[in-house]
Amino acid sequence: MARVYNWQLGREMSYWYPESRPQKQFAAVFDVNKCIACQTCTLACKTTWTSGRGQEYMLWNNVETKPYGFYPLAWDVNVLDALGEQRWSEGRYEGRTLFEAARAGERVLGWRPEELDYAHPNVGEDDCAGKVDRGHAFGGQHLAWFFYLARICNHCTYPACLASCPRTSIYKRPEDGIVLLDQSRCRGYQECVKACPYKKVFFNPLTGVSEKCIACFPKIEQGLQPQCFANCIGKIRLAGWLSTPDKANPDNPIDYLVHVRKIAKPLMPQLGLEPNIYYIPPLHAPDDFMHQMFGPGVKEAIAAYRHADDDLAGLLALFGSTERIVPRWKRSGEQVLGLEEDGSEIVRVPLREPVHVRAGYDEGRAILRTNCP
Amino acid sequence: MKVSHWICALGVSTVVACQRAAAPASAATELVLRTASVLPDDPGDAAWARAAVFVVPLIPQDMVEPRQLVATTSELRVQALSDGTRAALRLEWSDASADQESRPAHFSDACALQLPAKVAADIPAPQMGEPGKPVEISYWRAAWQRAVDGEPLTLASLYPNAVVDHYPFEAQPAHREIAEAYAPARALGNDMAGPGSAVQDLVATGPGTLEPRTAGDSQARGRRTATGWAVVISRSLPTGLVPGQRTQVAFAVWQGGAGEVGARKMRTAWVDMLREAH
Repeated sequence: MARVYNWQLGREMSYWYPESRPQKQFAAVFDVNKCIACQTCTLACKTTWTSGRGQEYMLWNNVETKPYGFYPLAWDVNVLDALGEQRWSEGRYEGRTLFEAARAGERVLGWRPEELDYAHPNVGEDDCAGKVDRGHAFGGQHLAWFFYLARICNHCTYPACLASCPRTSIYKRPEDGIVLLDQSRCRGYQECVKACPYKKVFFNPLTGVSEKCIACFPKIEQGLQPQCFANCIGKIRLAGWLSTPDKANPDNPIDYLVHVRKIAKPLMPQLGLEPNIYYIPPLHAPDDFMHQMFGPGVKEAIAAYRHADDDLAGLLALFGSTERIVPRWKRSGEQVLGLEEDGSEIVRVPLREPVHVRAGYDEGRAILRTNCP
Repeated sequence: MKVSHWICALGVSTVVACQRAAAPASAATELVLRTASVLPDDPGDAAWARAAVFVVPLIPQDMVEPRQLVATTSELRVQALSDGTRAALRLEWSDASADQESRPAHFSDACALQLPAKVAADIPAPQMGEPGKPVEISYWRAAWQRAVDGEPLTLASLYPNAVVDHYPFEAQPAHREIAEAYAPARALGNDMAGPGSAVQDLVATGPGTLEPRTAGDSQARGRRTATGWAVVISRSLPTGLVPGQRTQVAFAVWQGGAGEVGARKMRTAWVDMLREAH
């Protein structure tokens, strides 16, 4: 075990390999509040990558309803339960990570889903956390809640799948930090399936090896966002590059959301993998649940999101505005610009969508119009 | 897993009993590669009754993570014959459950034998060799044996009730090549995606370094016995192993039902193997 620095934990931790950060780290921000669980992302991925034999059950991208939706079944409950108490103290994680809690003879504290755990990808869909009593819904705000959590591989800085593979069949690309599983080298031991707490590695029984999300790297290499991003009709996703906190650049949209405004949080940072998909937390879920799921700072993140100023609101308007990766951005008055590294313009969106009001009666055609909000 | 139990039960019901006269276990301290005019390739062949049984204790692989911390298969009964060009080794062990599928969270029973790549006094580390001192491994898997024996691995064989609406590559014959794209391991020639044989030839220079051994010529046939498995693995004699000379051999056994796969295995130390003088 080596000692590495995990900035999400605010401390060093043990990891199987020494710290070796890529030149650039693929990362993304998902705005949970915009997701409607239409599963277009899921199908975009499915039709692009996992339509083959042996891949039938695989969802490299899935959207589950929290708190009762899971794919595979109980993935988060199981790993949280196995890990035991997870304590934070003033932004520093005081508990053990999955690497530090590994049992004797193991590289990672993991668990292995059974086949049937994959059989119900939409279990718990739209289920509320609590019952809404009869008539309660008409009384204004009620306490029942749920939200949609879209998930892909987190392309972690310290991947548990990579650490667990005794054959080093999994590697993290130095050029972009994407975590890939070498299909020519894997021998199907399924150690990675067991180790990945997010359960985003899948065993293909008909090719005898495991497979995982590849962040659509052929698109990334062309400066394009992955399929699940480009096809998101809710425009909840923004892909880009993430710096470490000490090198945060406010002109980088991902850095701005994660490091500068701190409104995007990692999924279960306490596990120790330094995941690189960040979530703008839902506005209406209980604080304790949010703290468990996204670590410290969620309340502050939600407050900033609720009271977004023109810069923050403007950047959020860039989500889903182009298929290209937007490495830089700036707001110019009432417009927000997505830029290339060299400053050239990729896309320009209005900070506020214009409102058009039509006359109720169309004089030219002599008919009444219905204006929809 | 109810599904797998049901499938395993079917497998047991179709087991071919491996009948042969029990050969006496030898008290010898080394495995003798007996000379034979014909090498039996079936573990049930009566010719094996004439070959002495060498009992090798198995120990958990507890040197590298992930480690095998629970001892399962306790011993391996080994017999060895050679016709002067090839060596055939018959391995027999107890395993109450027949696990002949590799599926999510399910692993196949398997065994392997390992020889130093060179017959030399300076032998490699028994745990899959070491840098500069490779070992050659013949790896048999029950799941592959099942496929070779006429039950090819398909979605229907694994999940009889599975229904799939559509595969893109089945829309038009011209789209067949797309199927390869959706099976990258096969497209890249990974033997795990369809070895076409019950055994793989591999070479290693330490834990985690297994690579295909293209020059290998191993053949194998495994049969379910009343108490476990019997497998015959044959391969070319190690280069330079002349009559009267010794080399080493090591073995490993995996019980798929116990979650044994990869480094999670029961193994032996090096065993001296003497090629009979005549």
